[in-house]
Amino acid sequence: MAGVISHQALASSQSHWCPAKNSRFEKRTGSVRLVYVKGSCGSSSRKLGLVWASSSQSSVMEPMHLPSDGNSGHTPKKSSESALILIRHGESLWNEKNLFTGCVDVPLTPKGVEEAIEAGKRICNIPIDVIYTSSLIRAQMTAMLAMMQHRRKKIPVIMHNESEQAHRWSQIYSEETRKQSIPVITAWQLNERMYGELQGLNKQETADQFGKEQVHEWRRSYDIPPPNGESLEMCAERAVAYFKDQIVPQLVAGKHVMVAAHGNSLRSIIMHLDKLTSQEVISLELSTGIPMLYIFKEGKFIRRGSPVGPSEASVYAYTRIDQDDNSSAGQYLDAHKAHVFVFYMILTVEQFNEPQKVLLNLCEM
Amino acid sequence: MATSTTQHVLSSIKLLPIGCFHPDKRNSCVLSVSVGRRCPSARNLGLVCASNTQTSVIEPVQLPGSPKSGVTPKKSGESALILIRHGESLWNEKNLFTGCVDVPLTPKGVDEAIEAGKRICNIPVDVIYTSSLIRAQMTAMLAMMQHRRKKVPIIVHNESEQAHKWSQIYSEETKKQSIPVITAWQLNERMYGELQGLNKQETADRFGKEQVHEWRRSYDIPPPNGESLEMCAERAVAYFKDQIIPKLVAGKHVMIAAHGNSLRSIIMHLDKLTSQEVISLELSTGIPMLYIFKEGKFIRRGSPAGPAEAGVYAYTKNLAQYRQKLDGMVQ
Repeated sequence: MAGVISHQALASSQSHWCPAKNSRFEKRTGSVRLVYVKGSCGSSSRKLGLVWASSSQSSVMEPMHLPSDGNSGHTPKKSSESALILIRHGESLWNEKNLFTGCVDVPLTPKGVEEAIEAGKRICNIPIDVIYTSSLIRAQMTAMLAMMQHRRKKIPVIMHNESEQAHRWSQIYSEETRKQSIPVITAWQLNERMYGELQGLNKQETADQFGKEQVHEWRRSYDIPPPNGESLEMCAERAVAYFKDQIVPQLVAGKHVMVAAHGNSLRSIIMHLDKLTSQEVISLELSTGIPMLYIFKEGKFIRRGSPVGPSEASVYAYTRIDQDDNSSAGQYLDAHKAHVFVFYMILTVEQFNEPQKVLLNLCEM
Repeated sequence: MATSTTQHVLSSIKLLPIGCFHPDKRNSCVLSVSVGRRCPSARNLGLVCASNTQTSVIEPVQLPGSPKSGVTPKKSGESALILIRHGESLWNEKNLFTGCVDVPLTPKGVDEAIEAGKRICNIPVDVIYTSSLIRAQMTAMLAMMQHRRKKVPIIVHNESEQAHKWSQIYSEETKKQSIPVITAWQLNERMYGELQGLNKQETADRFGKEQVHEWRRSYDIPPPNGESLEMCAERAVAYFKDQIIPKLVAGKHVMIAAHGNSLRSIIMHLDKLTSQEVISLELSTGIPMLYIFKEGKFIRRGSPAGPAEAGVYAYTKNLAQYRQKLDGMVQ
């Protein structure tokens, strides 16, 4: 059906799927040149300009069976795959004023609120079973605002365990309601890097007090902390430990996870996911408000880039989903078949003989 | 220049704290007659006196210099107390009993918070209290995004030694430009016990319609494992007296962003309502309620006018008269 196009797509996408060690995360996905499609996560778009869709729209609506297209000897096993979404919060009131923020709990600006809402539109179709945020309001608000756009309409509920009473008081007494809830777990370990004595100072003050080069060194080094503060290494230590301890088990159990946090705590996690060196992580910049998706599969993290924005012409590739797949992701997408355009493609990475399955998820309302 | 106008302004604001309504960018008197103006672009701040004597009302009015008789222009400690009830939450939308379950706002609730913020954008705020629930905290943050004074709300963390240490600010100047936000479970919504998470039908099935109605509307009968309004009031008012009143006494302007029942409890205390009266008290969501705290007393001032409302928000009798006079002067 769309075999010819697929091949071309495959070929052109080849170079974009090699996890590049030194890649910088850009706003668009690595595979943007694959196919251009228009979609929108809003409630009004009916446009779905996928090229081959126009020729055979109904047939591509159904999930294709990989086994039946005889391309490879791949056995489509029901493998457990979970989505991991990382979102860095947007502009805070101190960003706007150019003050070192660190762990000072400063809220978002209107722009930061917008960024959170935009981020939410990009992930509105990715299933989420549990949310982790830091203990700072700017990350929590980002998570809540992003989830306001979510189409599944499950309700995020923040967990309270700071005391026996807090735990008791936040209990939900209806099973049905619990099922419709997405637990939100707040953790200081996901906080921004603590900037010690730089917190609250502007560039001038820090230059006056400590000297420009010293400050630059603190900001850009991996292991040199500012006075009474954390180095990136220290931040990474507690963030990654928490990630391995609390978040990975959720992914292993097949849960889809969203982490709404900060520049440095997320970089630390990405450093772990992508196995970056300390040199590489220093130059890694995660865009604010642009979600980053990873697929966790068979113990490995596969970076999938950023889901398409509502008004972007681009392609965002997820993973294969079996038709027999009873994973929640499969069911989730099936349930939204009327709204979600699902298309299978086989990509080769590095070697043409090594098939890797990719799923295109496009929003169509 | 506009002496008579100025004098009127003086007399009409004699009850307001001098110098506390910091007129950094705009007119400090706007709150008295803000009519149909949007706060962020307050060049159209249609305060009549502003158009006559903009500079003079921008400066803090020096009452001592006023020749107005009988008024001893003492610097009296008057503080503003703003109460804001958060707007629609995701469970409100679904008609589920929420209580202390920490459910966030809907887009409508977000808008309500922003609107509330516009109404109070000219009222000074020195410290903010909220509950430990995100819907109240977000309401406070979103409301403050509209504030014209542009001080930055900073949530205070004291849950542990480390949390306290990590949230330290090392610049005096920055600290001065910060509004501390203190979160307190004592300001949480009434805890609804075994009703939490249930919808009307489930509760009716499980407990019976009348019983549920009784729990909701009585003063002192708690649902199973939950709080009665009385119990909620006890911890909310105790906190208010303990932590918030001292701030007001010290002349600080306070904003409280909280919930239906915790705020009713506080209003019950402020207005000395009976338990019967408080049961029928409904506080609108997203509409701030202002009180002036003066000489140990709370004077209810109602709700500051919304940005698109043609209305008058009278702080004091003199202000109302002043406004009438201005009305007669315009056009």
